[in-house]
Amino acid sequence: MKTIKTLLILFLFYSFIFAGEYQVDKSKENIVKFISDAPIEEFSGITNSIDGYINLISFQDLSNNKIYFEVDLNTLDTGIGLRNRHMRDNYLESDKYQYTYFDGHFDSISKISQTEFSVAISGDISIHGVTKNITVLGTIFSNEDGLRIVSYFDVKLTDFKIDVPEMMFMKIDETMNLVLDFNIQLME
Amino acid sequence: MYNKSLILIIFLMLSFTLISAQGTKWKRRVPENKLKTQLFHSTQSINLPTAETLQKGDFQFEISHRFIPTIKSGSKDLWGFDGPANIRLALGYAITDNTLLNLGRSNLDNNFDLTLKQWLFQFDSETFPITAAAIVGGAYNSDIPNVDDNLFQFFGQLAINTMFAKTIGIGVVPSYLYNSHIQCEDIQYSFTLGTNIQYYLSDMYSIIVEWNPTVIGWRKDFNPVALGFEIETGGHFFKIILTNSSDLNTTQFLSGADKSFNSGEWRFGFNITRVL
Repeated sequence: MKTIKTLLILFLFYSFIFAGEYQVDKSKENIVKFISDAPIEEFSGITNSIDGYINLISFQDLSNNKIYFEVDLNTLDTGIGLRNRHMRDNYLESDKYQYTYFDGHFDSISKISQTEFSVAISGDISIHGVTKNITVLGTIFSNEDGLRIVSYFDVKLTDFKIDVPEMMFMKIDETMNLVLDFNIQLME
Repeated sequence: MYNKSLILIIFLMLSFTLISAQGTKWKRRVPENKLKTQLFHSTQSINLPTAETLQKGDFQFEISHRFIPTIKSGSKDLWGFDGPANIRLALGYAITDNTLLNLGRSNLDNNFDLTLKQWLFQFDSETFPITAAAIVGGAYNSDIPNVDDNLFQFFGQLAINTMFAKTIGIGVVPSYLYNSHIQCEDIQYSFTLGTNIQYYLSDMYSIIVEWNPTVIGWRKDFNPVALGFEIETGGHFFKIILTNSSDLNTTQFLSGADKSFNSGEWRFGFNITRVL
């Protein structure tokens, strides 16, 4: 009898481990943007090609949660074709490192309102073949058809072995301001 | 009965473990568009075009000089830099990612030219990728002394490019020029087979060799040969050039050079293009 009880409890416990998976909603407008604000020139590179998933039991239960997102660097557009080519060939070397990715988890999710949550995320970000552990803050907005994640953080190019030649310092900033604004939906 | 329920519970636990241990269902979606193959870095070699076009909406501004006195004129004329010079100004606009429209003007004969470059195809290969473009254009010479007939010229070119080791670009540019010698009463034509080779030493520096022999048809006294050193930085391409031809616009360059390359009658020149 005792054995059955413990087994029943374990069984109920197991059924709650079945986590929900969210994937990037490609039908929505997703933005991944970097802003370079250098002394004599400001420009940004933008793409909508973000993909990935979140495994999460619930906003209250963060055990075993996982976040993975990646961006195809070949799709980044700075508005000028030649600049895109230099970015891909000379700086990002996207023929070798085509995808930049983030592999991490939620540290905390705090409720601000019925539809707005403040989140802290940490994990590994990989750019140009270099992986670095970071912690990032963001906001999750929930609406009828899914969740919208918004986050702002900075990336220092030299941290990822992306060397900007001296001649270009006035035109390409060492620190890129990242803007992420994308949508995910719960997969059935 | 006790045993049966135990077995059932264990079975349910195991099946749930299996389901949650499945991991993620997400799979990377294959990107729809592959990047267009780009070989040469610039849309032009020294005088010949490459198969490269620009991104839709981009502009390209060009200013080029060819100093008319040769280097043989010595230090007193600063090896030609004192001038005079033939000058070209041009503005290109990318109508689409594959179509480049260019309007140019040279002070020589006040030659205005309009050129359309259309990218045709690419052939992917690890060792010898190939890209090709067709170039058509026309020119109007509005200031030739003693000539007021036959002022229009037309040309068609095919730029076939390949590149190996990602550093050595080779272009072959068969070209046809209609009305290559305006002064002649009868319309002359020329067919040339230009070749340009560019060795990219680094992200920024490269060396160019280019020549454009006439195969059949009319030609000025000599075939044009050119040597160039290119610096690529930001949105600019700077080329420093030594060549026997002092012509810049296509309809003037294609018909040959007035000085001999082999006897060292070289002119200094430069091309500056900027992509905006």
